[in-house]
Amino acid sequence: MIYYLLLPIFSLLLLVIQVTVFDILFFGKTGLEISLILVVYAGFYLSMIRGITLAFVLGFLLDCITGVVPGFFVLSYVLIFLISRGASLKVYARGMVFTMGFIFVCVLFEKFLIILMYRSLYGINVFYDILNTSLLQAVAAGVFAPAFFVLFHRLEVLFNVWEARSPDQL
Amino acid sequence: MASPRKYYTITAIVVFVVVSLIVFSLNFKSPERMSFFRKIVLEAVDPLECAVDSVFSSVGGAWKRYVMLVGLERKNKELEAKIVSLVRDVGDYREMSLECARLREIMNMKKGFEFTTVAARVVGRNRSSVFKTVLINKGTADGIKTGFPVMGTGGVAGRIMETSRNVSKVLLLVDYNSNIDVLVQRNRCQGVLRGCGSSGCELRYVQKSEDVKTGDVVVSSGLAGVFPRGLLIGKVAVVKKGEVGLFQKIMVHPAADIARLEEVLVILREKEDNG
Repeated sequence: MIYYLLLPIFSLLLLVIQVTVFDILFFGKTGLEISLILVVYAGFYLSMIRGITLAFVLGFLLDCITGVVPGFFVLSYVLIFLISRGASLKVYARGMVFTMGFIFVCVLFEKFLIILMYRSLYGINVFYDILNTSLLQAVAAGVFAPAFFVLFHRLEVLFNVWEARSPDQL
Repeated sequence: MASPRKYYTITAIVVFVVVSLIVFSLNFKSPERMSFFRKIVLEAVDPLECAVDSVFSSVGGAWKRYVMLVGLERKNKELEAKIVSLVRDVGDYREMSLECARLREIMNMKKGFEFTTVAARVVGRNRSSVFKTVLINKGTADGIKTGFPVMGTGGVAGRIMETSRNVSKVLLLVDYNSNIDVLVQRNRCQGVLRGCGSSGCELRYVQKSEDVKTGDVVVSSGLAGVFPRGLLIGKVAVVKKGEVGLFQKIMVHPAADIARLEEVLVILREKEDNG
């Protein structure tokens, strides 16, 4: 239960770091969507309910903070979570290269959803503009994904230990 | 026979997907229904943004300054040359301003519009997103409302898209959802400026018969009621008159440095005319 209570707070903190700290680190040249890496991590390693809740909350908060078309990130993150979940059930050997490649594809998939949305809802073709920016972002996300996976795994272990101990302390 | 746990998982998937679709569609049908939750989130972001920003902005500032030292000598020479040119321009404009004041006095015309503004700092941006928005550290407590124009260094940066008590979200003029009614300053030709992401902006609905040239200044027309008339928006970067179609393809480079927005001015309202 404590997981669901803390989820919005930690998600918000993660997104705030994403929109402030990483802007400085990359000199404003590109962005790193840590939230998407976390959604894929959730698809690979968390339980269905915990993972899908995390994807939903992250998407909703990102919509509130930076979204222009509200609801887009909710939908895309839930879809990416389900795809990751499906992949995790089919692929057992998830090495570093697989993780990098999968994140790369997921970032491109998210951009594809944006192209599709603009095309179908507004009749605007944003393909070439997105192509210019998203390849670098997808590569950056892919390169940094294994490091973030290690970080998320450690945080998950810490949280599980703390969650297991907390009833005794209460 | 399928286990209850399997049904539980499938139900959860269906529920979350359906709720996601409802949230997505609800925002198109009646965005105000979700605005309450969005405001809460924006307000919750404020203390976190402030804390993170105060820690990292000083470190980031020092780092940026160090990076900026590279190529400083070349830039210095360029700026010196620019200053000479600008000083000459200022002299010309001063003359014109005095002439304008005399003419205005003769014609008993009202003075140009002046605006009440609020300065704000950009506290968050998501460069990984295709949506071009930034968060600023001022909100309804400072008199900011949805739709108010936002000025960056050099010209219009965008408009307020959403606001909570202490934080506002700015829709930048390069976002695909941004549309501004504008004029080409030289020939008063009217069009609609739509954002094109990293490519800048596109000036649409300008007929091929109109004489628009590269370097022409684009200003707000004041017609749609959001942006006051005459605000500098950008300069024409590319003009293409294709074989087919009624309109020209005109790309506009924004006057405000959108990629490096750090401080902005939010225009609150027009002051009463002094004239």
